[in-house]
Amino acid sequence: MLENILLVAFVGALCLTHRRLELSEASYLLLAAFVILHIIGAHYTYARMPLGLWAKDLFHLSRNHYDRVAHGAFGFLLAFPVREILLRFSGIRRGWSFWLAPAVILAVSGVFEIVESAVAEIVAPGQGVDWLGGQGDEWDAQNDMLSALIGSLLMMAATALSNFGKKAP
Amino acid sequence: MNPATARKIDIYFLPVAVASYLAFWIVLAIRPLDRGDWLLENLLIFISVGVLGFTYRKFQFSNFSYGLILMFLVLHTIGAHYTYAKVPAGFWLQEWLHLSRNHYDRVVHFAFGFVLLFPMREVLLRSAKAHAPWATWLAVTALAALSSFFEIVEAVVAQIVRPELGAAYLGTQGDIWDAQKDMAAALVGAVLTACWLSVGSQQRKRSTK
Repeated sequence: MLENILLVAFVGALCLTHRRLELSEASYLLLAAFVILHIIGAHYTYARMPLGLWAKDLFHLSRNHYDRVAHGAFGFLLAFPVREILLRFSGIRRGWSFWLAPAVILAVSGVFEIVESAVAEIVAPGQGVDWLGGQGDEWDAQNDMLSALIGSLLMMAATALSNFGKKAP
Repeated sequence: MNPATARKIDIYFLPVAVASYLAFWIVLAIRPLDRGDWLLENLLIFISVGVLGFTYRKFQFSNFSYGLILMFLVLHTIGAHYTYAKVPAGFWLQEWLHLSRNHYDRVVHFAFGFVLLFPMREVLLRSAKAHAPWATWLAVTALAALSSFFEIVEAVVAQIVRPELGAAYLGTQGDIWDAQKDMAAALVGAVLTACWLSVGSQQRKRSTK
C-alpha cells in the first residue's frame, strides 16, 4: 500500500505532463521498466522478493539485496529521461548534462532517504532502520544512494558511448 | 563610494580575503584537539582549495562567491580544529537550547547548502549555461547530491578505517538518522537561499516592467 502511493503519484505525473513533455520512446520504455521492478518489489515487499532470496542463498549474502537492485535500477533507468528533460528545457550544455543527470538522481535518492527516515520515525519510533527493510544494515541509506549513483553513472557512460561521434544529443 | 575606491576593493578583495583565511588556518593548525581527525577533515580543504586554484584561470567566481566559499571554509576549519563534536560554540548552543548533543556539525551542514548555493548557481549559469530559474534549482539539486555523496564517502571511509566502531566513528553521537538529518540540513539551507534568490529576481523583474 505504502509503496503504491509512490507509484500512483509517479504515473499520474507522467500522464499529466505527457502533452507538454513528450519524452522519447526510449525514455518512456525505461520509465516503464522501472515501474515494473517497483511493482514486483511492492507485491512481495522488498525484503521478501523471491529472486533476491534466491540470490542470497546462491551467493551466501547476508540479506535480500533486491532493494539494492531496485535502487541501482532507479539510477540506471531514470538517468536517461532526466538527462533528456535537462537538455530540452534547462539550456545546459551537453557535456554538463552527463554530470547533472546523475546529480539529480543522487539528490532525489537523498531526499527519498530523508523522507523514509521521517516516515519511519513517525510510524515506528525507535525501531530505526529495520522498519524500513534495512535488514540490519547500519549503512543502508548510504548503500542505497551509492547504488543509485553507480546505476546513473553507468547509464551516462553508455549514453556517451552510443552517441560517440554522432552530433545528436 | 566613488568608482575608483570601488575598483580598488574589487581588485584587492580576493588576495586580502585569501591571506586572512590563510592566517586563520595557520593559527588553527597549531595544536588541534586531535591531529588525525584534523588531517582527515583538512583533506576537504586541500581538495576544494586545490580545485579552486587550478580552475581560477578558466573560471573566475565573483568576489561575492569567493567570500561565501571562504566563509564556509572558516566554519569547517573551526570544526576541524576542535573535532566537530567538541566545538565550544556547539556546547553553548547545547546548554542554551537544552539539546541532547553538540549540533555544530548540523550547523555546518546547513551552512553548506545555505552559503554555497550562490557560487554553485554561478557555475551553472556561466559555465553550464543553464537558464536562470533552472540554474537556481539545479544548484539546489547539485548541493543535495554533493551532500549525499559526502555521506556515502564518509560511510566508506568509516568502514575502511574503523569497521568495529561503525557509525560512531563519524561523530554521529548516537543518532541513527545522522546521515539523513545532515542531508536534510543542507537541503533546507539550499532551498532557503534559492527561495530568497527567486523572490529577489521576481521583484527585479516587476520593477523593470
